[in-house]
Amino acid sequence: MITKTSSVKTAVGSTLIALGLLTSTLAAAPATKTAAFPLTTKSPEARRLLDEALVQYIDHVAQPEAIASLRKAIAADPHFAMAHELLAQISLDSAEQVAEQKKAFATRHYASPVERTAIQWYQDAAEHKMIPAITSMNDVVSRYPHDKLIVWMASWWLMTQTQYERALAVYEQSGITDSPGLINNMAYNYADLRQYDKAIAFMAKYAASLPGDPNPEDSYAEILRLAGRFDESIQHYRAALAIDPKFYSSQFGIADTYSLMGKQAQARKEYKTGFKKFPLEEMQQVMWQTREATTYVREGDVKAADREFQALAETAHTRHISQVEADTYRQMAIYQSDAKRALQLLDRADAALREHNNATNTAIEQESAQILRARVELAVRTGDKKAAASSLELVDQMAQTANDRLIESAYHGAAAAIFYSEGNYDRAIEHLEEDADNPLSVELLVDAYEKSGDTESARRTATSLADRNDPTVEQALVVPSFRKCYRDPSCNSGLKNVSLPQ
Amino acid sequence: MTKVRIISLLAWIALFSCLAQAKQLAIVADKENSTGNVKTADLANILSGKTKSWADGKPVKVILRDPSSRDMEMVFRRVLNMTPEQVRALMQAHPGLIVIADTDDAVLRFVSATRGAIGIVDLYSLTKDVNVVKIDGKLPFDVGYLLKGN
Repeated sequence: MITKTSSVKTAVGSTLIALGLLTSTLAAAPATKTAAFPLTTKSPEARRLLDEALVQYIDHVAQPEAIASLRKAIAADPHFAMAHELLAQISLDSAEQVAEQKKAFATRHYASPVERTAIQWYQDAAEHKMIPAITSMNDVVSRYPHDKLIVWMASWWLMTQTQYERALAVYEQSGITDSPGLINNMAYNYADLRQYDKAIAFMAKYAASLPGDPNPEDSYAEILRLAGRFDESIQHYRAALAIDPKFYSSQFGIADTYSLMGKQAQARKEYKTGFKKFPLEEMQQVMWQTREATTYVREGDVKAADREFQALAETAHTRHISQVEADTYRQMAIYQSDAKRALQLLDRADAALREHNNATNTAIEQESAQILRARVELAVRTGDKKAAASSLELVDQMAQTANDRLIESAYHGAAAAIFYSEGNYDRAIEHLEEDADNPLSVELLVDAYEKSGDTESARRTATSLADRNDPTVEQALVVPSFRKCYRDPSCNSGLKNVSLPQ
Repeated sequence: MTKVRIISLLAWIALFSCLAQAKQLAIVADKENSTGNVKTADLANILSGKTKSWADGKPVKVILRDPSSRDMEMVFRRVLNMTPEQVRALMQAHPGLIVIADTDDAVLRFVSATRGAIGIVDLYSLTKDVNVVKIDGKLPFDVGYLLKGN
């Protein structure tokens, strides 16, 4: 996790070093195919700091240091629009991201026309004006296709939009082959496209480019795990820990991998080792405790899973972190076979949210949407059409006003559950395709494609679902049984007719 | 995964998952073309060669990527309900019906420079040199947009 946070969100490199040599040339460069993207500032010191930040970020995988350098650059020249924009893109503080985007937009008049186009691209994206954002991005890329900063900006943004093929096209057209950050990004791009051979080749190159650094080994391990090559994954996690015994994400990576391998007792042992050895940030502690609890879901031991999740919820309650408490109850609800018990847990989740302690409004709204989605799915399961419709209406209202991908996905998942239950597969597909990151929806999507006669999409989607190796509750609930089902024609599922590779 | 941009547990966990690629294709026309919307049936007639001119009399010129590519398979399946084999037969029966381009850039260049041209490209390749045409009143990103897949 640390790996991907810092390494994927890095990339620039030798071009930046070259840019650093041009600090006296602060005016916009001519927009030719070989020109460097202009970075306009009246302060040579601000420019030096920005160049330093980009080298730190891309070549040395040092995100906090890069953020600090950008802040200094902005202090040296508060009108340095692209410094504001880059800080908005790499900051780990959501409030700073928002504030810096506003400052970039407000100071754009101090920048060159093409810098203004770049800032407009991010501004439009932030306002969900996606078509203008795309055309602005392509305008900038077409003018500076070989500039490492632009290639990083475009490929990274495209990754956040899940446009992996387009991100690869931008990278391949750039001709840049020596940037560790870009190589790492492309490895994840290929992994997201399930082209694991290429992903692993890129990741091997990335690891070789930064010997003695645990980060590439950790990333390499993660890609191998996504590819289902679990034993090799564990070897690379251990290699990362051998380089730096404090590199805690690799310890938990080992635990996650054992869990996906079906070795739950070993996974729990590794989680416990991690908790004992490493002090963790609260969010990380919660995430890995949830995964430890999920090992019992994978074993089908609901009683033990309930015990662990309940303990987590009570800890969250004691610490007054409402959204975590609510989300824990929601996750408990989705693996319950007893609908009455599931409903009680969703009520507890709502009660926790109402306390609204130590959570942003965004987090509360996102969680509320997830709970409503779970209510719709539960109501569909029990045949309570009235309850399903009323919860759907609420999450629909939220989706229309929130402009938030997680809330929109929750709405689509909920709407799809209703259409699917009514046998309206075409409408279900419309919504399921908008929630394709949730295994619960993807499982329905496979069946909906099949029933609507689109066997090719059903086959492709089923293969993708069967390949998923994310250590989440949803994956635990769907994927292992799905794999068994599609390999077993006698399985009691509508999915049994889907033709899948063995 | 890599994108710790929103500090909430849900977003955090979601971003550490492997996310599916949502693919959308855009219908593009030259800037002079005043057609802002086509119905699916209109598009079917254009792709099958039944419609040969626009309302202003300009001839329709269709340019696409390789019809056997996954994206174009989706287009022909959703618009004309045709299999790849049927598309091949259509192309053989009507040589010159569709201009084939190697890249989205080539499609965009052709469309922007040719009055009456219409093409289909990856939405994320769009440039400001062309107009995006709605399908059944819907733009890419609208729920229910025809040319969207995963």
